[in-house]
Amino acid sequence: MTPALLAGLAAALAWPLPALLARLPRLRRTPGPALLLWQSVAAAAVLGALGAGLSLVTDRAWRESPGPGSYVVAGAAVLVTGVVAVRLLLSAHRVGTELRTIRRRHREQVDLVGRRVSDGGVRVLDHPLPVAYCLPGMGGSRIVMSSGALGRLQPDQLRAVLLHERAHLRARHDLVLEAFGVLHRAFPRLRSSGLALGEVGLLVEALADRAAARAGLARPLASALQAMAEGRLPAGTLGVGGTALAARVVLLAEARPRPVQAAALVAASAAVLLLPTVFVVEPWLAGLG
Amino acid sequence: MDVLWASGPGQWSTVREVHEALAAQRDLAYTTVMTVLDRLSRKDLVGRRRDGRAHLYTARATRAELTAELMHGALDDFTSHDRGQALVAFVGEASPEDLEALRRALATLDEMT
Repeated sequence: MTPALLAGLAAALAWPLPALLARLPRLRRTPGPALLLWQSVAAAAVLGALGAGLSLVTDRAWRESPGPGSYVVAGAAVLVTGVVAVRLLLSAHRVGTELRTIRRRHREQVDLVGRRVSDGGVRVLDHPLPVAYCLPGMGGSRIVMSSGALGRLQPDQLRAVLLHERAHLRARHDLVLEAFGVLHRAFPRLRSSGLALGEVGLLVEALADRAAARAGLARPLASALQAMAEGRLPAGTLGVGGTALAARVVLLAEARPRPVQAAALVAASAAVLLLPTVFVVEPWLAGLG
Repeated sequence: MDVLWASGPGQWSTVREVHEALAAQRDLAYTTVMTVLDRLSRKDLVGRRRDGRAHLYTARATRAELTAELMHGALDDFTSHDRGQALVAFVGEASPEDLEALRRALATLDEMT
């Protein structure tokens, strides 16, 4: 029973559920709990997939008198589980080293050509194109702004942008994005891994936007988004990820505490992780002993 | 690096010259300057040439060139979606339609406040 249950669970968590979550934009109104739910769904899917393989092995090969057929099934299960695990580990390693190399080199160059401004970690690049981004990292993170961006932003807009970027760095949003990047790299053909990465990217932005909104800078932040987006137009434009801009402004307009939805999502996140553990893995472990 | 940039492209300086220029403002050891220049040349930011017993150094690219290169690298990163992003942009790419949607959303925000 256990392997089939776990496999079914992993399959449900790997495709129908993410597809459903992505089609519920109202979840974005509580970005924090929604992010938590995405994380637990992803974690539970991975655990379920690995658990299904392992439990199938024990189911077949740890019997009183396993026949040759059982060994074949068990062997296949070990193989499939191994492939999933190795893909994940390889992907994690590749994404991790790549990101760290890019960021380290980028930081060195930013420190070299960027102007240091008074408050910590902010560097200004002399370039007319308006950009603002943060460069996370253990060895000192940076917030990078171009002179083009500074020229376009009013003081309160600038403060809103800085609050937004600081929120990213403080909450280590890069780690969440990295984890979903790893999943997507490991299973690029699974459509939900791409969906999840896109949705999580938007949630993270919405969370950082809220940090600025809490300081009473929702309106300046929204207009800063517009000012920056307009300045970038001539630089060659494909509408990828840009649709998220309007969504972010709508979310800012709708921002207010939603304790019920938040609590429901937190409970759902816990359930997604705990229920399989309690009902499926527990009896299986007990059966082994 | 600023000293090399100040001396202009194609100008080669010795460690001593760079050190003298820097020492005017800061108390720096000659060997420190030498180490830094050596490290910069290994990162290919600085060109190095032997002249007799001394090494001569020059900036490979101007500050503006390096800045432009850095910006393009950053913009490429914002638009790549097939992997985890190294940099988190405040605003990604936007098409005219996206901007129109953004304007409408802003108008709604204004009505509410």
